[in-house]
Amino acid sequence: MSLFLIAALPFLGAVFPALLIRAGRNASSMAAGSVTLLALVGLLINAPAVIRGEVITARLDWLPWLGLNANFFLDGLGLLFAGLILGIGLLIILYARFYLSREDPMGQFYTYLLLFQGAMVGIVLSDNILLLLVFWELTSLSSFLLIGYWKHLPEGRQGARMALAVTGSGGLAMIGGMLILGNIVGSYDLTVILQNKELIQSSPLYLPALILILLGCFTKSAQFPFHFWLPHAMAAPTPVSAYLHSATMVKAGLFLMARMWPVLAGTSEWFYIVATTGLVTMLLGAVIALFKDDLKALLAFSTVSHLGLITMLLGFGTKVAAMAAVFHIVNHATFKAALFMTAGIVDHETHTRDIKKLGGLRHLMPLTFTIATIASLSMAGIPPFNGFLSKEKMLEETVHTVWMGSHYLVPALAVLAALFSAAYSFRYIWHVFMGPVRHSYPAHPHDPGPGLWLAPGFLVTLVVLIGLFPNTMVGPLVETAGNAVIGGGHEHFHAKIWHGFTPALYMSMIATVGGIALLMSQRRLAAVWDAARRPEAKEIFDALIAAVTRASQWFTDALHNGALTRYAAIFVVFTLALAGYAYSTGTMAAPTREMLPVSAMPIVGWICIMGATACVVAFHRNRLLALVLMGIVGLVVSMGFNYLSAPDLALTQISVEVVTIVLLLLALNFMPKETPVESTPARRIRDVVLSVTAGLGVGGLIYALLGRDFSAPSIADYHLENSYSGGGGTNVVNVILVDFRGFDTFGEITVLGIAAVVIYALTEAILSSRVRARLLNRVMDTPQAGDAHPLMMVVATRVMMPIALMVAAYIFFRGHNLPGGGFIAGLIAAIAVIMQYMASGFGWAAERQRIPYHGIIGSGVLVAAVTGMGAWFNGLPFLTSAFGYVHIEPLEEFELATAALFDLGVFLAVVGAVMLALESLARFAWQPGIIPEHPMDINPERDEDGPQTSGQEA
Amino acid sequence: MDQIIEILIAACLVISGVFGIVGSYGLIKLNDPMSRLHAPTKATTLGVGGVLIASILHSMLSENHLSLHELLITLFLFLTAPITANFIAKAHIHRHETPETLPPAGEDQKWATHDIPQDNPAAD
Repeated sequence: MSLFLIAALPFLGAVFPALLIRAGRNASSMAAGSVTLLALVGLLINAPAVIRGEVITARLDWLPWLGLNANFFLDGLGLLFAGLILGIGLLIILYARFYLSREDPMGQFYTYLLLFQGAMVGIVLSDNILLLLVFWELTSLSSFLLIGYWKHLPEGRQGARMALAVTGSGGLAMIGGMLILGNIVGSYDLTVILQNKELIQSSPLYLPALILILLGCFTKSAQFPFHFWLPHAMAAPTPVSAYLHSATMVKAGLFLMARMWPVLAGTSEWFYIVATTGLVTMLLGAVIALFKDDLKALLAFSTVSHLGLITMLLGFGTKVAAMAAVFHIVNHATFKAALFMTAGIVDHETHTRDIKKLGGLRHLMPLTFTIATIASLSMAGIPPFNGFLSKEKMLEETVHTVWMGSHYLVPALAVLAALFSAAYSFRYIWHVFMGPVRHSYPAHPHDPGPGLWLAPGFLVTLVVLIGLFPNTMVGPLVETAGNAVIGGGHEHFHAKIWHGFTPALYMSMIATVGGIALLMSQRRLAAVWDAARRPEAKEIFDALIAAVTRASQWFTDALHNGALTRYAAIFVVFTLALAGYAYSTGTMAAPTREMLPVSAMPIVGWICIMGATACVVAFHRNRLLALVLMGIVGLVVSMGFNYLSAPDLALTQISVEVVTIVLLLLALNFMPKETPVESTPARRIRDVVLSVTAGLGVGGLIYALLGRDFSAPSIADYHLENSYSGGGGTNVVNVILVDFRGFDTFGEITVLGIAAVVIYALTEAILSSRVRARLLNRVMDTPQAGDAHPLMMVVATRVMMPIALMVAAYIFFRGHNLPGGGFIAGLIAAIAVIMQYMASGFGWAAERQRIPYHGIIGSGVLVAAVTGMGAWFNGLPFLTSAFGYVHIEPLEEFELATAALFDLGVFLAVVGAVMLALESLARFAWQPGIIPEHPMDINPERDEDGPQTSGQEA
Repeated sequence: MDQIIEILIAACLVISGVFGIVGSYGLIKLNDPMSRLHAPTKATTLGVGGVLIASILHSMLSENHLSLHELLITLFLFLTAPITANFIAKAHIHRHETPETLPPAGEDQKWATHDIPQDNPAAD
């Protein structure tokens, strides 16, 4: 099966569980399981070739100019990880089906799980580090959803947030590291990077890149000091913990270290950073785990410890150690997933995870006891289970390791960690299953049905089989994976239980005996542990987050204090400074254009616009007057457009002007009639100085620009030449809008629609708050007039509505060749409807308006999008327009262009957006009884029949 | 023939100009808002109308085709001008007149602008 399909299957399949949950929980889990199984089978088909030593690739150029390509490759390491992810994923899906209760939304769970699975498979198959980063971030996001699956639990939400904050910020660091790496090599392809060890390690940027990448790996793999998120992620349902912390999420960091091993490892920096961190994490995790009373917390810290172990092995930088690391990854995944599942079973059956309340379960749950014991012994490193084999290899490696000149430090600490590891593993058996049967369990425990024990049972079978026959069971797989980690050269994998009396065996024996001794004194040590003051990671994290929040709050408040004048002042001062800098450093050529003679018309317009502007300044505190004066400015500007041969702009300006004035009048209705004086005289002087300077500056800039030719050739000629031949229209402005720059227009109508929906949402939010009561009890500051919907106005607007709509249609259809188009037509159509709103009142008109404006906006965007996609069917890029001329008797020949359909989308979006904004604002004025029964307040026809009888419309 | 039509066009333009001036002058000269309302109507009807007729004649004479766009403008003017005047009058009555200062409203008790329905809380 193609690697594309394997990587895409979980994402594609994620839809099914969410949909099929309506058909029941079995259907949902079967769908998730089948998708995973299919992907796993697809992977296994490729397995023989990979084990023979081939590398399977699949390449697709996605964004080649960014270096981001959908390149996948499958080598031994990828095969091992993908197999673990999909295989254990399958078991988790089975387990979760029986673990989750009826109240939990199971469809959602499987969807999140598959998304996560897809992201993980993507990471391990990526052959492009940018693509890998995309999947890396996806795992952070989808694991956030999984950890916070129980949304009702505050621990779940906090744990999910913490995991996202820690792994997400690590991911950010890693982006930096990967980009540096890609720049050193000159390629973002992993296979290319992996062949350039000397180039990378000799680069001065090696250390920064290494640290940044390791930050990403350490946060993801919960290495000290970032280990604290992992135990808090235990608030997730147990299947999630079992999946994330045995085979997937936390192994992603290990995977990346293993993946990058050939080029990053082998230096002393690598050894001291990675091996030391791993060693500290291994020891710290093991010690804390022993004193945790929560089953899952114990397992969480044991996971931290084992991740440290693997990190340390990778950090040693020797080929044998890397091979051992790969082997332990397999072993850890099998026994840890089984252990988490048994913890889940215990929790499920006894309703508690507190070790202090448990004990004596071996008689009540013999099957669970067996599974848990085998898995725990493997974790403790007891023969003949698989944990023993990899632990022996680890101890063997530590013996050969010299740390800062000391031969004994690493082995001693490793033995200490192994000792604690054995102790907490034994504790998991001893304090939960051994001892006398209690009578105080919160529920009556008994072995669960096969749905719950099958998956861990299968895993412990593997634990035993790998322990007994390591070379047959996983030998080839570990060998290919290990050789993929090592890069060049071939290392043989061989594991056996009996090595003879080696130092590792003695160390193992010390650890086991010491572990038992430690367990015996655990209760006394725990008392000391609890009495000691330790730094609590969660408190530190919370304090850090609170400090960051306060700092950003302070920064935001300082810049955004809610005063519009401040924003404007900051903006203007900044722009002025920039312009001043540009003016003082740049040069200015002499004017190249002649001044045009001044005729009468521009002078009249100039006087009008200057007079109106001066009046706005003088009367700006009277809001209504200011609005009227602004209307004059708008009209003169549109006349100016017309005078300067831009009829399209003039039409647009004038219709926008009308709509804006109506909307502003509506808004003024809810505001004081006068703007109060709020700022101090000094601030007003500052504002005057600023605005006059900026105004004169802009004026001067425009004057200077108008007197000179463009320094670069203008693109106007291209548009003028190609408008008719390429776009099929003689109205260049419209052809630019719907054809040349169609994608811009598409974005704009989408934004316009979003803006209108946001206005609607804001209105909805405000009207469901206390503001609503204030609006309802609002007393008008001036008395209201009667006869709000006069007869003459109603009749006239009704007469005009069809004419106005016809004008809109006319403007729309001629738009491609003459001034007009969808945007202007949309505004005119909106004005036609707004007239009805004004004449008969909003409520009355809205009751007769049956199509929701949201739908009109949406259909507009959809029509435009579908038109654009139509080009694909002709093998052309998105939004390529086509046109042709048809001749149907008895009509004259006319043009059909797909651009007109696109323009229809623009038209609909504009109508919908304008009307939705207006409707939202109008809703503020709603009062009980405001909706009149009749279109006009005084209807002559009504009087004849008497006031009660008429329901007719005039 | 051309001469006659040209004279006609000129006459139309002069007439419209005169009415434009008269309307504008009236707007300044008249004191009372209700009287002042009458002045601009001269400018919008006869004033603009004269220009439009002149335009139609001109297009017939010099461009040899009948242009009827002007008629649409007339139509819109005839539709909108009365409504504008109506609203100005209503605004005046609302802000500056009381039922006592106005002449009787015929068979109704009050003029519509003063007739505020009591069951409408928005209007109290």
